[in-house]
Amino acid sequence: MKPLSPTLRDKYRYIAFVVSSEERVTVSSFIKELTEASLGLFGAVGASAFAIKTISFDGFKGLLRCNYKHVDQVRAVLSSISRIGNARICIVVLGTAGSIRSATEKYLQIEEKLRRNISSYVTVPVSGRAVRIRGNEIDIIPEDKEITDRADVHFIGITVCDNERLI
Amino acid sequence: MRYYIDIGVHAFPEGADTPQRLDLTARRLGFHSIAITNHTPFLAELPDCGIVSGVEIKAQNVGELKKKIALYRRTVTVLNVHGGNDKINRAACRDERVDVLMHPEHGRHNGLNQVTAKLAKRNGIAIGFSLSYFWKTYGIRRARLLAFQRKNIALCKKFDTKIVITSDACSHYDLRAPRELKALAKLTLLEDDEAEAALSSVPLDIVQRRGQR
Repeated sequence: MKPLSPTLRDKYRYIAFVVSSEERVTVSSFIKELTEASLGLFGAVGASAFAIKTISFDGFKGLLRCNYKHVDQVRAVLSSISRIGNARICIVVLGTAGSIRSATEKYLQIEEKLRRNISSYVTVPVSGRAVRIRGNEIDIIPEDKEITDRADVHFIGITVCDNERLI
Repeated sequence: MRYYIDIGVHAFPEGADTPQRLDLTARRLGFHSIAITNHTPFLAELPDCGIVSGVEIKAQNVGELKKKIALYRRTVTVLNVHGGNDKINRAACRDERVDVLMHPEHGRHNGLNQVTAKLAKRNGIAIGFSLSYFWKTYGIRRARLLAFQRKNIALCKKFDTKIVITSDACSHYDLRAPRELKALAKLTLLEDDEAEAALSSVPLDIVQRRGQR
């Protein structure tokens, strides 16, 4: 089949994003959740216009493709995702670009700086185990699960200012 | 440069994160500052780090609401009222000491009518819309709550009442960047510039007006 001429092809924007999550997110579960979220928010008719496609995703940072007229709606879809499976996640859009190369060069030259599998006992502000550190951010699994259940998360989030012993 | 302020965030012990952690995440997302509005304020001893102190009063009846407003008004910068039944909403809109009536939707009612919208306009009270419905609820429940929000936004626009949009976050996973919040707000009846004002100039005005305490 003869390919479409450049002026007739669909125009796309590329959305670079990072995911902050309680557990490692797999590509398949991310794509499944993204599809469900776009269908849940806009229905089949709305989602058909977006032409969302996941170009790349490594569990932390990723790149999406969508129709250039629907970037705002796709941003809304991304921010309506709050959990994958049992883990809470938050998708943060880094920016949009007109090509894969410019999106990668501009936004995706970052690495995840997360220290897992540390385990030190803390008592401030709650007693529990500090399990993850990313920069100044510390995640604690509390002994008393009441607060985390109420906020629908698994960790209590503090910073090094709250507990200076953990630096 | 625009100053974005999220005026309704819940911190530890009501939410899961300490104020500093929420502030760190919010600043990375592009907010200028956040207001911690727990149902019981505790920010008197907060270090000077730009976090706005606040409270979201939750009351069972009008008497309790008035007592709590009198109790907290002098100690916090932002005084929100947790929307409840029609009597609470109307009493909140009648009181000049209140800054924002948060999520007035209640049960099967949208919580606002022409009387409360006009009262809020006259007393300079903003109506707060929690966009967390987009990620905390699903299916028919989400549709119902968003229908209430559309109705309330239409009322606010008709009577020129101030509108504030917040993430109503209980943890840093609930915080969203200003641009994302605007994209969500545009799905209800807000226009681009209205969503921008609801996230920047209106909350900034409240914080500056009440700030010298």
